[in-house]
Amino acid sequence: MDESTLIARVRAGDSAAERTLYDAHVDRVYRLAFRLAGDDALAQDFTQETFIRAFDRLGSFRGEAAFSTWLHTITTTVVLNGLRKVKRLRQRETDIDDAQAIGVRKRESEPDLKMRLTKAIDELPEGYRTVFVMHDVEGYTHEEIGAALGVETGTSKAQLSRARAKLRVALADFAGEWTT
Amino acid sequence: MTDQHEDPKFDAWLKDVARTTYHAPRTTPREEMWARIAAERQRRAGRVIELRPWMRWAVAAAAVLVLGIGIGRWTVRQQQQPAGGVTPVATSSDSSRDSSRDLAYEVAATQYLSRTEAFLTSFRADAHTSASSARFATQARDLLTTTQLMLDSPAGSDPHLRALLEDLELVLVQISELNGGAHDTDLITQGMNQSNVLPKLRSAIPAGPGPVRTQGVL
Repeated sequence: MDESTLIARVRAGDSAAERTLYDAHVDRVYRLAFRLAGDDALAQDFTQETFIRAFDRLGSFRGEAAFSTWLHTITTTVVLNGLRKVKRLRQRETDIDDAQAIGVRKRESEPDLKMRLTKAIDELPEGYRTVFVMHDVEGYTHEEIGAALGVETGTSKAQLSRARAKLRVALADFAGEWTT
Repeated sequence: MTDQHEDPKFDAWLKDVARTTYHAPRTTPREEMWARIAAERQRRAGRVIELRPWMRWAVAAAAVLVLGIGIGRWTVRQQQQPAGGVTPVATSSDSSRDSSRDLAYEVAATQYLSRTEAFLTSFRADAHTSASSARFATQARDLLTTTQLMLDSPAGSDPHLRALLEDLELVLVQISELNGGAHDTDLITQGMNQSNVLPKLRSAIPAGPGPVRTQGVL
């Protein structure tokens, strides 16, 4: 069954079609949510909310773009708004932790590449990190990213280039890893 | 323009390492999430009917905001139109427009703050039974909607009001997630006491009887 038929059946209230549509897309939605959130519980919440919104708003999907593009627009909106909210709610604790951590930078004591890479990516500005994760980590094209984030393809490319540049500086200690 | 940071070797290495190490997801918990989606959709569909009386709070607050904006704009338009219909360039119109708008937002904010104060006072006094916890959680969810609406409105651009709204949002989120545990209730109450949210809330509400204030403005 092609996707437009499937969507028509979902609109008509066919719950088996809903499940089929969910099965076809849930992996990619969950993976992106997990990569951006870094937490399984949050990733599950965001995935759940994405599909609830998608099913509720399927009536407004006109089929001008691919369903996956439309769905990833919802995913990125849900995830980025959700992360902003989580950040705001955790702000007080973070402020206290940051205040205590001033002057105790542990650059030399964190030789682990995985930790340093994770920290460097986490510290990228939101737009850079989102594009980097979508393109380099999850393999989205710039066209897909532009459509999902509502930006020009050129903007997506520029943000990826800046993200890589920042990461190259942040990971300079590991230069031997990629020059050899 | 060629980016001075371009380095194909680095880009390839970064991509490879990031894919395997950066927040690497586990296998998608399909069934688990599907069950939660189905339950949540059912719950939301039922809640529309169940909470209809409470939803009026959020709708009323939104209506007051919209009405406030409308009246503010209408008033300014009236003030700006002289007999000849020519719009003056005088800067005084800007200040009167601002003051009308501010007044409208103040009314909406005052009404919302008064309701929230009543709710939190009541919560602190008698939220210790599991039955009232459920009731408070429901009310908190509705007030949370209004709080978020206020945060996103121009009323939230005032730094003092914004700080208070963010404090209230935090408390309301905690109450909305209550599941009947007395320990949770105590923690929330302690948090409210430590952050002085109720005194701050009370000091943010202008003195005088509400209806008089409202009628005086609108």
